[in-house]
Amino acid sequence: MPDFALTEEQRSLQDLARKFARTEMAPRAAECDRLGRFPEEVMRKAWELGLMNLNIPAEYGGSGLGLVDQCLIVEELAHACAGMTTSVIANCLALEPILLGGSEEQRRSVLSSFCSSYHLASFCLTEPGGGSDAGALQTRARRDGDHYVLDGEKCFITNGPHASLYTVFATTDPALRHKGICAFYVPRDTEGVTPGKEEEKMGHRASSTSTVRFERARVPVAQRLGAEGDGFSIAMRTLDQTRTPIGALATGIAQAALDHAAAYSLKRQTFGKPIAEHQAIQIKLANMAQDVHAARLLTWNAAWEIDQGRKGTLESSIAKCYASDAAMRVADEAIQVFGGYGYMKDYPVEKLLRDAKLAQIYEGSNEIQRIVIARELLRPYA
Amino acid sequence: MEIVVAIKPVPEGETRLRPNAAQSGFDPDGVKFVLAGYDESAVEQALLLKESIPGSRVRAVSFGPGPRTEEVLRAAIALGCDAATWVEHPVDLLPDAVLSARAVAAALAASPPELLICGRQSGDEESGVFPGAVGAVLGVPSLGYAVNLRWDPTTARLTLQRSIEGGLESVETALPCLVGLQQAWNDPRTAKLPNILKSRKAVIEKIPWEQSKAALGRHASPTSVRRQFRLPAPRTGARMIPYDSPADAAQKLVRALREEAKVFP
Ligand SMILES: Cc1cc2nc3c(=O)[nH]c(=O)nc-3n(C[C@H](O)[C@H](O)[C@H](O)COP(=O)(O)OP(=O)(O)OC[C@H]3O[C@@H](n4cnc5c(N)ncnc54)[C@H](O)[C@@H]3O)c2cc1C
Repeated sequence: MPDFALTEEQRSLQDLARKFARTEMAPRAAECDRLGRFPEEVMRKAWELGLMNLNIPAEYGGSGLGLVDQCLIVEELAHACAGMTTSVIANCLALEPILLGGSEEQRRSVLSSFCSSYHLASFCLTEPGGGSDAGALQTRARRDGDHYVLDGEKCFITNGPHASLYTVFATTDPALRHKGICAFYVPRDTEGVTPGKEEEKMGHRASSTSTVRFERARVPVAQRLGAEGDGFSIAMRTLDQTRTPIGALATGIAQAALDHAAAYSLKRQTFGKPIAEHQAIQIKLANMAQDVHAARLLTWNAAWEIDQGRKGTLESSIAKCYASDAAMRVADEAIQVFGGYGYMKDYPVEKLLRDAKLAQIYEGSNEIQRIVIARELLRPYA
Repeated sequence: MEIVVAIKPVPEGETRLRPNAAQSGFDPDGVKFVLAGYDESAVEQALLLKESIPGSRVRAVSFGPGPRTEEVLRAAIALGCDAATWVEHPVDLLPDAVLSARAVAAALAASPPELLICGRQSGDEESGVFPGAVGAVLGVPSLGYAVNLRWDPTTARLTLQRSIEGGLESVETALPCLVGLQQAWNDPRTAKLPNILKSRKAVIEKIPWEQSKAALGRHASPTSVRRQFRLPAPRTGARMIPYDSPADAAQKLVRALREEAKVFP
């Protein structure tokens, strides 16, 4: 069983993230949400403090944190602003394929540069034609001597407009489905690579999202990760690592919603007493607290499983799916506790609902998570 | 040059303190102790000086019980201090500023620092006695309310500013000396994540209480003892006096002050 007592080291990491979230992220969250502004200054500061490339091992200059540690940090950041957090952790998602599939030389050259100076990277898997069915992706990689020529379009790419490097999944032959997919890393300045315009989003509006187009982009074979056909497995193993922190992100949103609702319920008076004294509100708060605790513990459990060197597929899918559904429920109830004020943009809770929604969609939609959970859980019965 | 910065773990700013069972102090259970306020500025100043003086190092020193004292020393190392000395005392000792000063001075006596920096007062007790007392015990001049320390290598003198009414006084001094720093004139840095990880592995020099006690002899107990620690009585509500006109308001207020509050006869 995992030991739920955090070590002093974990507490200091949590403190660092909390301090950063409170002093750098929270004061800008409402403005960035309203304007859809990407806070470059926050990203740079997060990088300077070492909060960005959490998964990169120390030998390449990163912090080399385990998943439990990463989750502690992500929850604290998301408590202040989930959108900024998505952008801060996008490097982990984009660089994980290099960690998993790259040669020692590729890792050293790419990962070290991300640790020695501020750069953003994007993970380019989803396409306009489909995200859930990654095996059906259409972006083509045609071999031409010691290069591949990439053609196609990726969409919903986090940090797309700001990234200096893309990890791209493309197929040598769509008929081969999973088996034809290759993974590459492609510098932004490669000819034929163009990020599209910023998407206008419902939530996570401080995060930047765009398409990325590849038109006859010539990529040296040396920038392929693993062998030809390894791409699908690299993508899936990447998501096995990054799904759990999405549970932590959702937990952070849920905790923020509960914090706001609890504090408000003690201040707001109706019928001569604080609404916290009405049992209907108490029951809401009690249910919200259960959701927050369950989301956090499922997340820690999945992170711990993976830190023990196991795959944790079942646990991480449960954590991501449960925590994001919980965040939706808790944010929804927080608005209800605030009444009409909760519906107003001057108050912080409606943003939480808009932000929570994404956690049910990205890094594998919750429908896909349930398919995975069912597959894993049925295995012993078959 | 070794710069020593003296720090103290204090309860985090937002903490709600409760008196302990004996009402002799607050109950430390569940209280989070941090490096805060004046001490943060002091560490920042020590690090700024270190960065401007080639070959210098900073040692943090703290007198207190475990584990909180060890934690603030690790926080200081994460910020950039090179070494740390933990002058330990049992959790139930409840030292005062004079005993703290004597214990720290005793710990430093073997190799007295050229420059000792501390906050001008601690973030919790705020008595402001410690800097002067350490200076007195060590026999070095102490300068309080200082900001903006600079070291001039050619003259081997330290310059600093002291806030005085209506302005700043510039002072130049030789070493050794002790400086009590004004708060937050600098913007204390935040420890970086890799440095936090490294600070966990740093070796902290520990001076056991038995050793300090032997060195302090008859001075090994507090000079003053807190009799009672109580929270301020809860404030009672204000009362709004309804009125029709300013004259009416004045009349009602005077009546309330005289007849109910009995402020004047
Ligand atoms: C803000 C944002 C940021 C993102 N960032 C990135 C990024 O950085 N990199 C990246 O590659 N992608 C990113 N994505 C894409 C995201 O991962 C996909 O949107 C997601 O995987 C779903 O794919 P889709 O949108 O194509 O939906 P579809 O796959 O078209 O699915 C539509 C609906 O059908 C359901 N569904 C699909 N298949 C099944 C099935 N077999 N059974 C039952 N239900 C099913 C889905 O759950 C969903 O509800 C981002 C998306 C958003 C919105």
